[in-house]
Amino acid sequence: MNTIRLYLRSMRMLMKCQLEYPVFFILQTLAQLVMEGGEMMAVILIIDRFDQVNQWEAGDLFFFFGIMSVTFYLTECFGRGLTGNFPSLVRTGMLDTLLLRPRGVMTQVLCSAVDPRRITCIAVGTASLIIGCSLARVQWTLLKAAAMAEAVAFGSMLILGLFAVEAVFCIYSVKSVELVNALSYGGRSACEYPIDIYPRPLRILFTAVAPFALVLHAPASYILDKPIYGWPAWTAFVCPLAGAAFYGLIYCIFRKAMRYYRSTGS
Amino acid sequence: MRSYLSAFRLRRRMELQYRGAMVGGIICQVVFGLILIALYRALYAGKPQAMPLNHVVTYVWLQQAFFRMLLASDPDLLDKIRSGSIAYDLCRPVSLYGFYYARIMAQKITGSLMRAVPMLVFAALLPDGWGIAPPSSVPGLFLSLLALLLGLLCVSALENITMAFTMRTLDPRGIQGMLNLLMMTFSGNILPLTLFPDSWQRVIAFLPYAQLLDAPIRLYTGDAAPSEAVRILSVQAGWVLVLTALGVWLWNRHQRRIVLQGG
Repeated sequence: MNTIRLYLRSMRMLMKCQLEYPVFFILQTLAQLVMEGGEMMAVILIIDRFDQVNQWEAGDLFFFFGIMSVTFYLTECFGRGLTGNFPSLVRTGMLDTLLLRPRGVMTQVLCSAVDPRRITCIAVGTASLIIGCSLARVQWTLLKAAAMAEAVAFGSMLILGLFAVEAVFCIYSVKSVELVNALSYGGRSACEYPIDIYPRPLRILFTAVAPFALVLHAPASYILDKPIYGWPAWTAFVCPLAGAAFYGLIYCIFRKAMRYYRSTGS
Repeated sequence: MRSYLSAFRLRRRMELQYRGAMVGGIICQVVFGLILIALYRALYAGKPQAMPLNHVVTYVWLQQAFFRMLLASDPDLLDKIRSGSIAYDLCRPVSLYGFYYARIMAQKITGSLMRAVPMLVFAALLPDGWGIAPPSSVPGLFLSLLALLLGLLCVSALENITMAFTMRTLDPRGIQGMLNLLMMTFSGNILPLTLFPDSWQRVIAFLPYAQLLDAPIRLYTGDAAPSEAVRILSVQAGWVLVLTALGVWLWNRHQRRIVLQGG
């Protein structure tokens, strides 16, 4: 509990810092809007040209795009310490100071940064979700809402886990490894669309290795009443747990890696 | 002229240093390429378009291969402006605009060629429908190379305009960041410009962003016949002139009003 209080307090403080320079903040937030707006425009133009992919219609595609954007950018907003700053912590040797304090390294890293500029990305994602719901005429029930919440929560854990993989690479090789971006950002780009339109190797990659399909697509397709691969309803609630499992696994590896951490000394 | 050439050469050597990052970058870019192609293949399976799938696949590979040409900035300059050590550059007996133009161009050429060559070899080895198609014709290939060169001049000029703004605002992430992100959308990196609605394409094709990679790619795939080359190349050349002139003007203006950050 104490840890959570600590986290919330740091978040409040960091938010205040960011809002100290309002013009700068607004400009950056607008830049994010341009970025995510461009991505959404691509989806709109694709739907305009192709109407649908397999059984997925316009509404479904907006929904898939929306759930991915919301989850990904919520993580980037509140997990900024891990998703953005970790490589430079290792490179500059700042990580050493974290080792001296009576808290876990991961906690401190997560408490060290927040990125409220992502709010516009989250807003674009939310807009896409709303458009998707109304086009696909989603009938909301309590169970569906639960599935949605579960998808976003465990999706965030999965994405945090992927960035933790990058952190582990960093600890061993000091340099940030772009390779892992293929999984995290590649996963985001690929899984903005339902997984079953892809050929087998990509499906395996994003189901078994970086389980975006299990965490986001199983519940999303349940909400849309078009279960992916015809899976039964209970899978929409069990599959997302893969996100927590992934995070847990990487967290263990991260703890191990920290024992091998050698300061750059500068 | 010699001083600009040596700035170019030094920068090229520096870019060649980071081979490890390059391999990671190539793999990442290849995965992105494969994901996009898989997506377009699925879309085409549902509803084939006037533009052949082959062209879209080639478009994606060329965009990914020359990605580095679009997004590569000169972090040294930003540091220099922020730390104030730009004062040393102001002492040099060269035009600052030309000096940085040469550096940026070196970075973009070296960075993109180092990545493009292995990626295009890989893409050429992939089976039909996944890999890059050969150029539509021999003149098309030469014309697209010429267009690529003009695109390079264009993107270097754009980058220099961005840096001129940085001189004033000291941070590259505001308006400049926005300009870069607009570039991602309107250069055809996120979605091939050839898949934009036809009515939009008539306008977008004249924006500076379309001159960077879209114009050469169209000439390569044959979407633009060699007979249209004169029009395309002159639009490109026009933008090169306009953007360079604007850049020189901005640099001269901001250079005079620059505040040296002490420390």
